[in-house]
Amino acid sequence: MFRLRQAVALAGLTALEALRQPVCLLLILVSSTLTALLPFLILHRFGEDGKLVRDSAFALHAVFGVFVAGYAATTALSRELESGTALVVLSKPVSRDCFFLSKFVGVVGVVGVFSLCAGLTTLLAERVAERFVNRDGVAGFVTDGQTGALLIAVMVAACVVGAVVNYKRQRPFGSVTTTALLGGLLLCVVLASCFDRTGQWAPFATRLDWRLVPVSVLITLGLVVMSSLAMTLSTVVGMVPTLASCSAVFALGMMSDYLFGLHATESLWAGLLYSAVPNWQHFWVCDQLNAGGSITGGYMGLAALYALVYASALLCLGTVLFRQKDV
Amino acid sequence: MQEKANSTILEVVQLTKVFCDFWRRPKVRAVDGLNLSVRRGEIFGLLGPNGSGKSTTIKLLLGLLHPTEGSIRLMEGRPGDVAVHRRIGYLPEVSHLYRYLTPRETLLFYGRLFDLSARERRARTDQLLEMTGLTAAADRAVGEFSKGMARRLGLAQALLNAPELLILDEPTSGLDPMGCRQVKEMLRALADQGTTILLTSHLLADVEHICDRVVIMYNGKPRAAGNLRDLLATPDRMTLDLPVLDAATTRRLLQTIRETCDCEAELSRPSMNLEEFFVRVVREATNGASAAPEAATPRMAAFLEK
Repeated sequence: MFRLRQAVALAGLTALEALRQPVCLLLILVSSTLTALLPFLILHRFGEDGKLVRDSAFALHAVFGVFVAGYAATTALSRELESGTALVVLSKPVSRDCFFLSKFVGVVGVVGVFSLCAGLTTLLAERVAERFVNRDGVAGFVTDGQTGALLIAVMVAACVVGAVVNYKRQRPFGSVTTTALLGGLLLCVVLASCFDRTGQWAPFATRLDWRLVPVSVLITLGLVVMSSLAMTLSTVVGMVPTLASCSAVFALGMMSDYLFGLHATESLWAGLLYSAVPNWQHFWVCDQLNAGGSITGGYMGLAALYALVYASALLCLGTVLFRQKDV
Repeated sequence: MQEKANSTILEVVQLTKVFCDFWRRPKVRAVDGLNLSVRRGEIFGLLGPNGSGKSTTIKLLLGLLHPTEGSIRLMEGRPGDVAVHRRIGYLPEVSHLYRYLTPRETLLFYGRLFDLSARERRARTDQLLEMTGLTAAADRAVGEFSKGMARRLGLAQALLNAPELLILDEPTSGLDPMGCRQVKEMLRALADQGTTILLTSHLLADVEHICDRVVIMYNGKPRAAGNLRDLLATPDRMTLDLPVLDAATTRRLLQTIRETCDCEAELSRPSMNLEEFFVRVVREATNGASAAPEAATPRMAAFLEK
């Protein structure tokens, strides 16, 4: 029970410290703002606005997520080792395993907050994207400008709230703005669920494409794997090599089926690399949505199991490396 | 009870630490065959110039570094044991603190690591903030702190668990003379109450004031060790302490001593050291009152008064 309380304290502090840092907020805000602006930025429409917005938004979620995971992990571990805060914590009755694994949980918390913001923004941005409407005297392509304006207003309002609270009560801008953004996006989702694209009252939960949620969850699972990789790398190298390695593994993971999978049966090396590199195609299922399908619970379970096994293996390696490390 | 008081709390035998490069080739022999033992309730000084291996030794004692050779016995346990760390307080050379936390959040966080109840955490946090003069800055981010304020907070986190063994790496570095005096008075008071203190410093005047025993290190090796009074004594000289006498009496006295002992005798006027003078000036300037937190006499936190 004592260990659990320690782990909760360490994980909470890791998440809090990361969310209070300007870089984390910057990544969350830039990713959310770009996603919110996608319906207005896409010019080549051909009636596929929804698809383009979905694909671009999920790509932003994955790419920015890799950087959030890498940054949070290196801040939590290699930076703490460099700055010496890890030294003080480890001089307390905290085992190295508990320290390392709690830090990972904290990083997953940060990735979770980022993914929640990205997921909610994607849900809303997809709703904003132009669609053909033929109802109640309205016929033609309609962009949901009201929801779009509301979404942009939430971003601005979150920054204003962060600035005011920082000025008045000297609370950290980063964490307050992130909390305000998250609250605002949730409120926005509730409002968007109550009105249709033309601004008319509509039954709750019928006006958003909820099929996007499992896709977001799968990307988050991929980011959890990247977090465990970043944590493990952070035990031996600093921030820049960790971020570079995570980006490289992400790129390889996206192309894994083509680079290694096609030759896995013929070449031992290709087979080994195909097994060793986390296959991001398992977490990237946008095409399934575009084909009109949905993500089944069984597939979600298998993907979660794959992420769990992969993350566990990496964390075991990280724990062993951290035990040997001179702090 | 007496047996416990005289028992050894820390025993180091032939401790050696060699740092290696990326390819595992030996690079620096930071500590080389160190032997030392620290008794319960004493203030033990680990002295030496920069790079002599003091901080490395402390990290080895805490299990933060793995020794290349030798053994460490710490409170009937090994360095790195969670049970041992519950009874230790540690202040590193630089008060490594989380920049985005406030002092209150910092102490509450460390209180959680010691599994203190919520009530106890809050009470100890308030007491230590008051004791270190940080109450007014309790809700400011630590990243905005001066070096001295960060040092005070570092000291507060080291005392949070009312440790049996307090390990302090350069405890007075970054503190002004009043702060140094406060820390020294507090360490002496803690030692009087039974806390064992192991400290490193290259401010020798500080060590001289408070340490019972010392070991002097150079290039990772112990060069001198023992009771401070014995090490500093000059056995062939003595001082006669007298009130100020008139010139004629003084001359007669010196003459008598020279004739009687057939030796050279010199007269000198004792002077206070600069720190004592500084403290007196500041206390007079504030009329003895605690005008600033730095000028306040440290009030020991209730939980540290055993």
